[in-house]
Amino acid sequence: MQVEFSKIEGRSAAFYVAAAALAALGIAGTYSTYLLSVHGLYLSGMTNRVPWGLQISMAIFYIGLSAGSLVVSGLYGIFGKLEYKPFARIAAYLAMLFLIAGLLSILTDQGRVDRVFVKPFTYLNVTSMFSINPSLYSGHVLICIIYLWALFREKGTLTKIASFTVCLWAIGTHTGTGAIFAFVPRELYNSALLPPSFVAAALSSGAALMILVKVAVFRGTGRPMDEKLVIWLGRPLLAVFLVCTLYVLLIENAHRFYLAESREAGMFFLFGGFHSVLFWFGLIIFGCIIPAILLFLRRTGTSVPWVVFASALVVVGVLFERFLIVIPGLIHPPELFPGWEVTGTVLWEGVVDYSISFYEVLQALGVLGIIGFAFLMGLKFLPLAPTEARALAA
Amino acid sequence: MDRREFLKKGGAVLAGTSGALGLPLLTSCGVNTASEDSPLAGRKWGMVIDLSKCQSDCTACLDACRHENNVAFHNDKRWDIHWIRKVNIRNQESEDIEKSVLLLCNHCENPPCAQVCPVQATYKREDGIVVVDHHRCIGCRYCMIACPYNARFFNYKENEEWPNTDFPKRSHGVAESCNFCAHLVDQGRRPACVEACEAIDIRALHFGDLNDPESEVSEIVASAPVKRIRDDWGTEPKVYYLGL
Amino acid sequence: MKLSTALRGKKLGGVVTVLIVIMLLPFGFSAARFGLARGAEMPDVFLEMPPPEQFNRCVEDTDYMRFRHMDLLKRIREEFIRDGNRGNVSLTKCRDCHTSRERFCTRCHEAASVVLDCFGCHYYPEPDSESQQLGS
Repeated sequence: MQVEFSKIEGRSAAFYVAAAALAALGIAGTYSTYLLSVHGLYLSGMTNRVPWGLQISMAIFYIGLSAGSLVVSGLYGIFGKLEYKPFARIAAYLAMLFLIAGLLSILTDQGRVDRVFVKPFTYLNVTSMFSINPSLYSGHVLICIIYLWALFREKGTLTKIASFTVCLWAIGTHTGTGAIFAFVPRELYNSALLPPSFVAAALSSGAALMILVKVAVFRGTGRPMDEKLVIWLGRPLLAVFLVCTLYVLLIENAHRFYLAESREAGMFFLFGGFHSVLFWFGLIIFGCIIPAILLFLRRTGTSVPWVVFASALVVVGVLFERFLIVIPGLIHPPELFPGWEVTGTVLWEGVVDYSISFYEVLQALGVLGIIGFAFLMGLKFLPLAPTEARALAA
Repeated sequence: MDRREFLKKGGAVLAGTSGALGLPLLTSCGVNTASEDSPLAGRKWGMVIDLSKCQSDCTACLDACRHENNVAFHNDKRWDIHWIRKVNIRNQESEDIEKSVLLLCNHCENPPCAQVCPVQATYKREDGIVVVDHHRCIGCRYCMIACPYNARFFNYKENEEWPNTDFPKRSHGVAESCNFCAHLVDQGRRPACVEACEAIDIRALHFGDLNDPESEVSEIVASAPVKRIRDDWGTEPKVYYLGL
Repeated sequence: MKLSTALRGKKLGGVVTVLIVIMLLPFGFSAARFGLARGAEMPDVFLEMPPPEQFNRCVEDTDYMRFRHMDLLKRIREEFIRDGNRGNVSLTKCRDCHTSRERFCTRCHEAASVVLDCFGCHYYPEPDSESQQLGS
């Protein structure tokens, strides 16, 4: 079956407005980063007890999104499912953009942005996940570029090899990203299940976002797309990913809750604050269970609007999950004196809170603006979008 | 393109990419190994804090540290840096037992902060002191995440004051923690907190070489019931407490 | 040529022009601030020499210090901090002979348009004032 790709027209008012808005956000975010680098990170909501906040959460969110995109792309690349060839290029391009977004988010969060372009490359520390990960990410971007090139040139064998490599490398990258948190002796971080739960949530969010992007691109450009393709991405692909995510989350929290030594921390995570609301309602109920039910039920799982709705819920739910990876571990104090409680102090001891500041939001929106703009430009100047997407006959 | 050409080009690309990604490994080898005849070799600095002598309303060591090292104070709990700090703790079973504990960087033998610093700005010196090279720190704050004792801080805001002009201060954007006043120790003196406590004749802080069996700290550690904070974490802290 | 090709060429040319302008911006700012033709105009650095009994010798010869002082400083810094080798040369000792930061550092660095990162942390006030302006 022949699939043709072509650039989108990109002349509609909606396109120009979107592109301009995204570019403006990108510039605003860059300016915010500049302000933070000149005046100090006190302009963000981060404190000495909560040194990582919105930017790092968004960074791992973007990295996670790239995994699912690559899996969808790999449906054609590795498994040769011809009906998914129309989706492959956009998926690969978006995966690359998300990785760059993750790197950008981390980059703009450093205290000394002027040093971060040189020092991590000349003074590597192989025991540090923060040192290994940029190598993983940049290698990942490189392989994505090779993969995209193979897709554009329709090189069959190279596509297969590149797709296989990039999916394997993606598992490495995402495990590494999960390991940033898991390989650290903080009570709510130190869990061997954190990398797998990170990968599972990454696959869910990526597949969900792919569904949203596909529908948006095809509906936006008016090109025909067979609904069955999107529906298959939701049911069974996304549904299976959701089940995996729920499974790993369940075991992780049950384990923490069960053992006496971690029970207090586990209780804090599950019931101890506003983050618990985000966990139960944002992630578990609305982010995993309801979308899974919607996808499994035949009546809703085979209708595109419901699948889109479920995907949107999943994307937001996983965003909450990224926050829940980063923040509760920091606002929960370490147990320095078992059997004693801390009464008076100069530092923020005990449970603290973290509120996002305007500048941080601007930074995050800026990164979103930059890659959104790059995506729109890619659609317009590269033959990324297929002219049509049809399911195979019979 | 036929298979041979593909293999050649693919191999070239792979070699180039691996070289590019592996270059930092080569350039970073040997950058941080101190020479054997370094003046630091052989020592292992440690501290003993005698809580029974420490008085809960005294702030001598806290003030001395802040003055000596130009530690930032903004009167805001979010950004204030305390290389050494006092916490009051109360026993959860017998609520009338209260203590005042001095907390500072423990200069662990297995420091998680040094393990995770991506540029090796935080590292353990030959003599056991965990130090931050502020010229190299990129401000990623991973060391703060990794420290299980919450003993590390970040300069969120520029420090306007400069009480001790003989010693540099840190501008915003770098992480820091207590460094056992390495600049004083290298001159044969002791950390500012220890000297301050001695100056007012309380002598709750003892500092010395744990590798030297005749030093004050070694003798206390060998004979008295000292305790470290959460040494079950495996970090091997070098700050010991009496009366914890 | 076809209209679409010509238009596409115009668009690409436009994008390239914008990129080139962005890349030339730093040079533009520098020229606006310091003017052009800085290469040969290194200002004179006036050294205030301390009294003969205090004065030992210069650290290195003038040319070396003028162009390669960062190499020296970095090497000293690495040894000082990482090896604990406090040695003989210390940043504060530079001040003993070179008492004016403006004449010793700022003038040349402004002319060469090289940003100074040192004095946000290291103390080097002008001899007649106690306080120090942050930055260069």
